Amino acid sequence: MSKELEAEFVKQLEDNQNIVHKICRLYTNDQDAHNDLFQEVTIQLWKAYPKFRGDAKFSTWMYRVALNTAITLYRKSKRRVTTQAYESVEFKIADNQEHDESSEQIALLYTAIKQLNDIEKALVFLYLEDKNYRDISETLGISEVNARVKMNRVKTKLSNLINP
Amino acid sequence: MDQLEQLKQQWTASDGSYPKYSAGQLTGFIAKRSSSIVKWLFYIALIEFGIFGLLTILMYDTESQQHSKEIAGELFYYGSFVLHYVVIMGFIYLFYKNYKNIDAEQPTRSLMKNILKTRRTMKWYIWYNLGYIMIFTVALSILMLLNDPSITKMTEELHVKNMTTFNVAFVGIAVAIAAVMCGVFYLVYSLIYGILLRRLNKNYEELKKMEV
Repeated sequence: MSKELEAEFVKQLEDNQNIVHKICRLYTNDQDAHNDLFQEVTIQLWKAYPKFRGDAKFSTWMYRVALNTAITLYRKSKRRVTTQAYESVEFKIADNQEHDESSEQIALLYTAIKQLNDIEKALVFLYLEDKNYRDISETLGISEVNARVKMNRVKTKLSNLINP
Repeated sequence: MDQLEQLKQQWTASDGSYPKYSAGQLTGFIAKRSSSIVKWLFYIALIEFGIFGLLTILMYDTESQQHSKEIAGELFYYGSFVLHYVVIMGFIYLFYKNYKNIDAEQPTRSLMKNILKTRRTMKWYIWYNLGYIMIFTVALSILMLLNDPSITKMTEELHVKNMTTFNVAFVGIAVAIAAVMCGVFYLVYSLIYGILLRRLNKNYEELKKMEV
């Protein structure tokens, strides 16, 4: 593939890399695994890139490839080590915010989301990214109604997890 | 759920807390090799085609092979080989078609389905090969009993009185050997695919459950 195409791809990825980082942080438990998954997502995005050209928005297309890599294609190569250091930086609340009770609750919620299974995580992730149910259903390949029903169930599950 | 709505609001605000790779680093990532399960499936398939291909080549034109050709007759011998290769070519075509259909851009469920389809093709390929070995062995052992002069010599030397018992035992041993071989292959492959696709199977079931 040509150098121009590569440069174009890298530029778009650089601008949208937060999407991939968010997915990596949700699906891995330490920095090594995060980097590992990020790399695999990059490879998969690059492989699929020639097909993307002209189609939808780059970021929309990215959700699908990145989530597919995290849920389906990625092979955890290393042992899973849960490092306390990584957990504590999982969801940083912006510095100017007060660390009141509600922000603590949100941090707790994020920890609860990490305990969900791969598919539920994907649902929550797309929901947090403000995707509508049509996008969610198309990304995962399930019906819109079922995506909605499942999301409601996940909400209940999360609520039970943070308020046992 | 209020907290989820709050988290959603802060979700974008948290963008600054993520690492930022430079264009140079990202370009470096592209050059790296993928370690996705699809790649592993591809390698395993190559090994499978290789192993069974090698088995056929190793068996070909050896002394015992010449011997079995004499016993089984050229028609049976070459006929089964031609049929075998046609079927194998069919499998290679199917595998290639399935493999090409795997695309990270498709909806998650179809992607999983296509991966599992590729794995199923390879499962059938293994079963076909094991079945072929089994039938070939049994057929050959029966033909040996009917046509092989060395078997007749052996029964005479051993002073076999009951020919039926001898025949049944002879075919039985051939079946047992083939069955043990099949068993070993089956265990090895179940283990390899089981480890490789455990997570995918779990996630696929989860998605399927949602559609009920």
